[in-house]
Amino acid sequence: MLCLRLKSGGHKVKMAFQNPFNFRFLLLVCMWLCTTSALSEELIQAKVVEPYVEIHSGPAGGYPVIHVAAKGEWITVLKRRTSWFKIITADEIQGWIKQDDLHLTESSQGQPVKLFDGSFASFSERDIEFGMLGGSFEGTPSLTIFADWVATENISAGVSVTQALGDLSESQYFLVKAQHTTFPEWRLSPYISLGVGQIRTQPKANLVQSGDEARTSDLYAVGLGVRYYLAKNFLVKLEYNNLQALTSRDENEEIEEWKLGFAVYF
Amino acid sequence: MEVRFRSLFLVVLALLNSSSLIAQEPVKAGTLIEPKVTRQDINEANIDSENFELGLLVGVISIEDFSSSPLFGLRAAYHINEDFFIEATYGQAEAGETSFEVLSGGAPFLTEEERDYSFYNVSFGYNLNGETFFTDNLVFNSATYFTLGAGSTDFGGDERFTVSLGAGYRLLLTDYMALHFTLRDHLFNSELIGEEKTTHNIEYGFSATFFF
Repeated sequence: MLCLRLKSGGHKVKMAFQNPFNFRFLLLVCMWLCTTSALSEELIQAKVVEPYVEIHSGPAGGYPVIHVAAKGEWITVLKRRTSWFKIITADEIQGWIKQDDLHLTESSQGQPVKLFDGSFASFSERDIEFGMLGGSFEGTPSLTIFADWVATENISAGVSVTQALGDLSESQYFLVKAQHTTFPEWRLSPYISLGVGQIRTQPKANLVQSGDEARTSDLYAVGLGVRYYLAKNFLVKLEYNNLQALTSRDENEEIEEWKLGFAVYF
Repeated sequence: MEVRFRSLFLVVLALLNSSSLIAQEPVKAGTLIEPKVTRQDINEANIDSENFELGLLVGVISIEDFSSSPLFGLRAAYHINEDFFIEATYGQAEAGETSFEVLSGGAPFLTEEERDYSFYNVSFGYNLNGETFFTDNLVFNSATYFTLGAGSTDFGGDERFTVSLGAGYRLLLTDYMALHFTLRDHLFNSELIGEEKTTHNIEYGFSATFFF
């Protein structure tokens, strides 16, 4: 006997399936629902055109091969993780195949399957980059996160936020930047940037007891950098920035900054 | 009586279900009923890509000189490829009292507000992918990973540059849900109890995350 208890508004409703007949009824309803939905499903499918495609138990090369999909077999793609695709075969065997293997299949129109693979060729078609840089801000450690929109092959626009934490003070600044890459077709390519923003500097709490001594100034930045396309959708960046903080004192403050970090693109 | 009602209902339902087939052309013997599958081509837009991971973190953090405290936080990750990922973590805790404060019963080192401990870090992680066999038939994909990152810790009224070193174990219960057990050391310089020194703040964390 199987009981299903539902509590509703303090009353206990008890549905008791006392004979197997009710089960058959439920099963029939389920089957009816399943068949009607299965008949009208749209499946993302491809046909294997090479002798076979290896199916792994997990989304990485180290996972064992549990099955192969043979030539002529239709596979259904369920989802993607990094460059691995979860598929199900006609025999209902689920597993993961790598992107290079998915490119050994073709669509129902007989077209070879070709997806964005993060190769250097597809790098030029990227729209967005984001990443993180760590470095030295006038000798104190700094951390930057940034996001860039790649407008054309050469020009991109972006924003960055930096926090520099020194022994004497703490600075935070943001910049809105425009960047120019002269040779976008090079794997290792230099770029220049111009930016405007604001900087906020606060002395450490143990130096100033009176409290809020923070000051905010406008900021101009000129930068020089190189980016290196490493692999897949991954870049390494090295940057030098010369910053001018327009302070309320007699002299403007000049800040030198070195940064090294990475970016991913889409 | 009840049974009769049910059987009547069942027959009606069975008839309804089959009527769609009966209404069509009579099925010739030996022919298969092909399901109406419309095949869609594979492209970036129609495949569900799950490279981001987001979840909640709970744990215990041992704040050097200030005893251990419960920790709550958020964890987000982006998986670059099968081996590497980028992880961002934010956590909050409230520091306890130093041994000196407890034993002497004297003036506290920090105000209540200064005892609030919060941190963020962005780390780079490397996976050692594998499988975990709980029994012969109960197998989950898992990964042991190492992280190296940098960020900031807000404690004692100041923000401090913090380097974090960690190791973790990710158990994928399903393709999209994972449990993490992590051990992480947060290193920062502090002069809160006198001379400046590098402090080690060890965090034991448990988090549940979802891929999307």
